[in-house]
Amino acid sequence: MRFLIFNHIQNARESLRSNRGRSALTMVGIMIGVASITTILALSGGASQIVRTQIDELGGNVAVVRPGQVEMAGFEQLTQLPSRQFATSSLTDSDVQSIKRIDGVAAVAPLMIITGAIKGEDEAPTNTHIVATSPELEQTNQLELRDGQFLGPELKITTAVIGPQLAVNVFGTEEAIGKTLTLRGEAHTVVGVLERTNTPINYNGVDFDNAVIVSRDSGRLMNQGVSQIQQINVRTESVAVLDSVITDTNQALLRNHYGEPDFTVLSGADIAQPTSELFTAIAGVTAAIAAISLIVGGIGVMNIMLVSVAERTREIGIRKAVGASNSDIVSQFLIESLFLSVGGGIAGYIIGYLLAFGISTFLTFDPIFSWEIAGVAVAVSLVVGVLFGFYPAVRAARKDPISALRQYN
Amino acid sequence: MRLLPTQLSNIIKAMANTNSTPVIVLKDLKKRFGLGDAEHYAIDGIDLTIQQGEFIAIMGPSGCGKTTLLNILGLLDTDIEGEYELDGKNVSTLGMRRQARIRSQQIGFIFQSFNLVSRLNVLENVALPLTYKGASKLQRIQQASDILDTFHLSQREFYMPHQLSGGQTQRVAIARALVNNPSIILADEPTGNLDSRSSHIIMEELSDLHKRGNTIIMVTHNPRLTTYASRVIKMSDGTIETDTHIPEPSHQKHKKRPLGKRKTKVRRKKGKR
Repeated sequence: MRFLIFNHIQNARESLRSNRGRSALTMVGIMIGVASITTILALSGGASQIVRTQIDELGGNVAVVRPGQVEMAGFEQLTQLPSRQFATSSLTDSDVQSIKRIDGVAAVAPLMIITGAIKGEDEAPTNTHIVATSPELEQTNQLELRDGQFLGPELKITTAVIGPQLAVNVFGTEEAIGKTLTLRGEAHTVVGVLERTNTPINYNGVDFDNAVIVSRDSGRLMNQGVSQIQQINVRTESVAVLDSVITDTNQALLRNHYGEPDFTVLSGADIAQPTSELFTAIAGVTAAIAAISLIVGGIGVMNIMLVSVAERTREIGIRKAVGASNSDIVSQFLIESLFLSVGGGIAGYIIGYLLAFGISTFLTFDPIFSWEIAGVAVAVSLVVGVLFGFYPAVRAARKDPISALRQYN
Repeated sequence: MRLLPTQLSNIIKAMANTNSTPVIVLKDLKKRFGLGDAEHYAIDGIDLTIQQGEFIAIMGPSGCGKTTLLNILGLLDTDIEGEYELDGKNVSTLGMRRQARIRSQQIGFIFQSFNLVSRLNVLENVALPLTYKGASKLQRIQQASDILDTFHLSQREFYMPHQLSGGQTQRVAIARALVNNPSIILADEPTGNLDSRSSHIIMEELSDLHKRGNTIIMVTHNPRLTTYASRVIKMSDGTIETDTHIPEPSHQKHKKRPLGKRKTKVRRKKGKR
């Protein structure tokens, strides 16, 4: 059998080159589609990775207890996530005490997240949270202080530690020690300012750069005297005892809750999972929307190929007369459309990353590089090229050589 | 001229067989256009035997089916009734791919309107048939350049078709038809668009090809051109009216070797591999 693929490639290159402007414009269509998919995948990959790296940095000996059963798939997460903020938690103060008593636990910190008016010299932005917790949060989350001290049992309940961004927001400076902050009408003295972490997305659901940390007693006062614990962070003495601590925690809490499994103990990658699943779901939806632009690009390729076939009817007739078989003609036009779509795909991949890096300068995370994204870009453009190039190619091959030769240019 | 013994024996065989191996045999060939009331036979029962090495001029008024016959002979039109045997094989038994291969290797077309690809230059146009034979780019360009040289067109290799005169364009088209060393050359009014001087040059080229042993079938309106032919067929309304053999001076025949490599030699090469 004759092996003509290189001849077809040369043919396709020649004919695309003779229509440079048109070929380039057609490629732009595919390029936009592939570029948007690449950008979305690279950025969402980067976003879900930061939570994972945070967990890794904590050293692998952290477990998290959350109320309710967290066993939702990506799309359920999308619809159910907000409800957690309003529902009354199933975790109680006695759960915190029970966990503290377990062997191997180094530190336990319940998180009680409260929304409310925060006022210093200026009003704080509305998305600022008040976190009521125990002094052990400093150990469980490895928080570092820029200035002053963390909460402690010896301090009054009207003291607070604030994030550096919040300090700037309400006092205009990070030097906020000793200043007075009004939380829900209650005056608190700032005793410490945290080091900047730049992790607005994390497993606590709170950006500590932009939050107030107060004692649990103060938190209870703001909440009609009742604790409302959204999450309990547990740090074990070593990685080795993590598994046994998780088992013990499960047993202890099950006993406290009279056998109702209305809580979840998570560790390692599981902590990050809901967040990364959420990002995957969002990325999936946006990528699907981007795929529509790819279809538009593909139709562009098909259109141009149909025009090209019509324009070159006579040439097709000549080629057939000098010995081209139908499959030769199909291959030639199919390779042409593949050139257009893969060329656009490669350009789109590069531009997609340029775009992702451009956008990431406004975000707190970097896009990720992975072979999956490159694979998706190439595969998608190949599929588009074949899918939308096949019909014009078959049409070209089906042309009757006699009437094709009779047609005038 | 030095010849290999096999080549020599082939030529002797070809000379001996000139009037006994039919290249083309047509038996009651019919071609119908339209259906029902509009039914019309463009070719209405043709029996014809063409020997290797003949130069046939097909004459006749417009619409008598000359071009249709040529298209059928060139395997461009295969929707026919009756029998068409090419080299002893019935073409209706051949698949599309096999037919394309025959067009590529055995048949060369020359058209009235030249039919060069306008966006390719002269060299690329001539090299076009070699693409479908599977030749590499270098081989294609070398062979095309060689054949253009025999037509004294080496100066025009990188011209575009629209930069050439009519006579030059037709010579390029003939070069393209010959680049694959076809045994049969089909010419559809090759001089129809040319002035008489260019026509003369083209006819000299065709007659030269004939002397080299190629079979030539030419459709023409011009009775003067029949002087070059060895056989004149007059058609009317889809049938053959007259079929005249013109005796040739025998000393003129096969003085020259057919252009390029012979088909038999190509086969021998393939066998070696």
